[in-house]
Amino acid sequence: MTFSFRDKQLIPIWRKLQHGERLSLEDGLVLFKTNDIIALGKMANFVQQQKSGYAVYFVLNQKIEHTNVCVLSCKFCDFAKKKGEPDAYEMTTENILAHITPEIREVHITGGMPPDWKWERYLDIVRKIHEKFPEADVKAYTAVEIDFFHKKFKLSIEEVLKQLQSAGLRTMPGGGAEIFTERVRKLLFPQKIGAKGYLEVHKTAHKLGIPTNCTMLYGHIETLEERLIHMIKLREAQDETGGFLSFIPLAFQPGDTGISVGDGSASGGKSHRQFTSAIDDLKTIAVSRLMLDNISHIKAYWVMLTEEVASVALNFGADDIDGTVGQERIAHDAGAVSPMKLAKDQIIKIIKDAGKIPVERDAFYNPLNVYSENVIGKIPYLNSVPFYHNREKSAAGGFKILPVAPRRMGMLSKQGQLDAGLFSLMDYFEQEESLELLPWCIATRDQVKSVMLFSKEGWAGLNGKKIGITDETATSVQLLSVLLENKYRVQVIPERLHPGVNDYSMFDAVLLIGDEALKHNKIGLNGFELVFDLAKEWYDWQKLPFVFAVWACRKALSGERREELKEMISTSLEKSEVNLGIIGYSHGKKIGLTKNETKEYLEGFNYRLGEQERKAMMQFRKLLEQKEIKI
Amino acid sequence: MKLLDIIEEVKIGKRINREEGLSLLQKVELLDFGELANEIRYRKNPKQQVTFVVDTNPNYTNICNIDCIFCAFYRHPGEAGEYTYSVDEMIRNFKTAAANGVTTVLLQGGVNPALPFDYYLELVKRTIEEVPEVHPHFFSTSEIIGMSQASEFTIQEVLRKLWDAGLRTIPGGGAEILSDRVKKKISHLKGTSDDWLNVMLEAHKIGYKTTATMMYGHLETDEDIIEHLEVIRQLQDEYHGFTAFIPWSFKPGNTPLHKIIPTYASSTRYLQILALSRIYLDNFDHIQASWFSEGKKIGQVALHFGADDFGGTLYEENVHAEADFVNKTTVAEVIQLIQDSGFTPVQRDTLYNTLKIFEKAEAM
Ligand code: SF4
Ligand code: SF4
Repeated sequence: MTFSFRDKQLIPIWRKLQHGERLSLEDGLVLFKTNDIIALGKMANFVQQQKSGYAVYFVLNQKIEHTNVCVLSCKFCDFAKKKGEPDAYEMTTENILAHITPEIREVHITGGMPPDWKWERYLDIVRKIHEKFPEADVKAYTAVEIDFFHKKFKLSIEEVLKQLQSAGLRTMPGGGAEIFTERVRKLLFPQKIGAKGYLEVHKTAHKLGIPTNCTMLYGHIETLEERLIHMIKLREAQDETGGFLSFIPLAFQPGDTGISVGDGSASGGKSHRQFTSAIDDLKTIAVSRLMLDNISHIKAYWVMLTEEVASVALNFGADDIDGTVGQERIAHDAGAVSPMKLAKDQIIKIIKDAGKIPVERDAFYNPLNVYSENVIGKIPYLNSVPFYHNREKSAAGGFKILPVAPRRMGMLSKQGQLDAGLFSLMDYFEQEESLELLPWCIATRDQVKSVMLFSKEGWAGLNGKKIGITDETATSVQLLSVLLENKYRVQVIPERLHPGVNDYSMFDAVLLIGDEALKHNKIGLNGFELVFDLAKEWYDWQKLPFVFAVWACRKALSGERREELKEMISTSLEKSEVNLGIIGYSHGKKIGLTKNETKEYLEGFNYRLGEQERKAMMQFRKLLEQKEIKI
Repeated sequence: MKLLDIIEEVKIGKRINREEGLSLLQKVELLDFGELANEIRYRKNPKQQVTFVVDTNPNYTNICNIDCIFCAFYRHPGEAGEYTYSVDEMIRNFKTAAANGVTTVLLQGGVNPALPFDYYLELVKRTIEEVPEVHPHFFSTSEIIGMSQASEFTIQEVLRKLWDAGLRTIPGGGAEILSDRVKKKISHLKGTSDDWLNVMLEAHKIGYKTTATMMYGHLETDEDIIEHLEVIRQLQDEYHGFTAFIPWSFKPGNTPLHKIIPTYASSTRYLQILALSRIYLDNFDHIQASWFSEGKKIGQVALHFGADDFGGTLYEENVHAEADFVNKTTVAEVIQLIQDSGFTPVQRDTLYNTLKIFEKAEAM
């Protein structure tokens, strides 16, 4: 469907978005001020769909507020109590553990800052949860608390984070950002750490391999410009580290928190109005989706937005609805109207009502379960774009696209939660019993440029060395292992890495795939002098193409659905092949490729499963079977 | 027909049929729905304005013998909590409301067989004489049918006598879903779809203006919703007697239907149905957002999905309150809610005449 803009000022912004260009503060103001919220939402939905398709993520989480005793007295906080006040509480580690149940996948810990807790007590909470519930990722302590630990316990921020990390901390929540201007900080949050402190803590965490969330508290005295400055500062920090997983706009909950909202603010100076307007909520979600081009996920925090608005927000650019949430004291004490606990079923319903795919995730946004019919997996790399680009919504027979890293796609398919997908070859081999091969694939002719080993040593020199291996796919890993063992006869120590989060310098070589490999193939990877293209290594050795991925569908899929699927794939591919440079353009641009480079890259693949490709699959399988050591 | 072709038809202002409506309802994504509904909304009402009415919604009796299973409001004669107010008491009630700025009294009650027809006539007459500040917007179709049965006047005669007493508009409640299959299940004593349509038809013939409503989110199918829109569109073609259409979702609390339908219909569904109504009912001037049943926030969003009216301020309301579903507001808040949604609030009367425009500076 085409766009019709009631507000013509949006048209140049839409052009920018279509070309993958970054928006300016002025663009942001136009977006915030428009009355055409439908067009605004459609643009945000467009961008969101490019990032996560129809997926909306949620996590089975438990929020723990270990204490409400706090040495600070922030103006808007109805939560904090002073030690000795009647409803002050402090939870022991045992208390905390008693709140966690085995199905919980993320424990979210934040609280006040009591005067007399020992450092060990904080570490102990993380450690014990991690030990007792290894399935649950610990997301703990806001930047404000980290900074408090740093000052109180006289440890550097890095040291604080390192110790928490070795106790089992996986990620950090984004609270405490408020609004990043000194004006607002001085007026409302004089005791908080401000933009500089907040970003320093988060960037330090990112460098240690701890991804974090970031937030913005809106709907009080801030201006629209200040909201945008806030977003732009986060965008800049993300350019540096890439460690923000998601952005969460938090609607200010007035209650009786003692801020009277003044004139000149974005929310227009109202005294009697209690909560942000739904239009402001939806606009803020949409604008943040459009401004924060480098942050993967935008969260509609239902506890504050209400279930109804959160559900609508899923069509305005949000692709995460948080979780099942246990204790929600901070928001609740200030009068949020949502019920305390949304059961999983209810979350699934909210997401389905919005026409999206409910995807249960872990702390890193790895999908664990998919709760919808008619889902097709999509590898989120540039080389799969030709299969999906020209998929017309109405022609697609109601299939919904879920972008998911190859290894996870294999897992979901094993759980019977996908109808079809472009599978990593290893996953297809493993599930041959239940999958039916379709006549399309991603195969290379001689080189691929997106399955690369970046190394400090030549092949022979890698013997006994540590290799960081992406956990996104098994096929590249197996190809590497076949090459190492059968072609070069060396043994290495493989270790998992999280692309974009780990510090690569701890390895002697790293295997990267997809966009990350493509990017570094162009700009290089600091410290790794040698770059090996695995497909080229294979070709020089076997004189065969290499098949990285194949299309397959569930054997149980009905004939009719299967035909629709084939129709969809072949139509899209044919249309795409006419102009590979253009269809890959905005995706390529994000990883720094020119139109020609994108075109050349995409032309390097064979998308149809022919004789040679089948032969290559057989040969690879034979080598795998002969291989002694499995990675 | 392909979805894209239907969308094109709507854009150029062509009327869509049942099948096309069903296609839209089932296949169009939320924001595309909003975009399409806005095309029509701004064609009909190009101003960036949203109207509202300062009204009250009292009840004169909660005694009823109809037993609708979605209703938490009614009591049987003699049951604890039953009440019937005298005309004097109601007039006092209206006077208080008028003193608080109310201009429309939307009065409905149970179908109480013990009340004589004169009671209703007197209520209308005395309201007009004694509380001229308010416009009486009285009696749902069920009550009118009840009056006819109790008095042995025909529907037409009942309506004529009420008209002569001074009544000019009638609320459109009681339509629920105009499908006899569904009505049999949720309100088997209430009369058929044709009964509702017939009262409306007779009223429009005489010159009454009425609203039309739809309550969904219970046992209806998508097809039932389309049928509902279709029949009221047909009726509207004849006399153009409907001022506005008001869809709302069923609220299950405290009703027997709660056992079958435990949850509220979603906000996305509401916005889709609202947008579909705007698209389908091409002969209706106004579509009303129901902040009261959907919540203030979704009420605001609804203004971008085809609604150009925010409904009433509901000085007094008891029916939903009995289902434990309570939303309250003030005139000042309604003005604020509309402004925050990006529109200029306009206070109107029952017949959609402008009473007062609230430009930014005049916000209370
Ligand atoms: S907002 Fe946080 S830091 Fe401030 S008083 Fe409340 S609990 Fe303490
Ligand atoms: S909805 Fe009206 S007719 Fe039905 S039971 Fe309630 S009061 Fe009576």
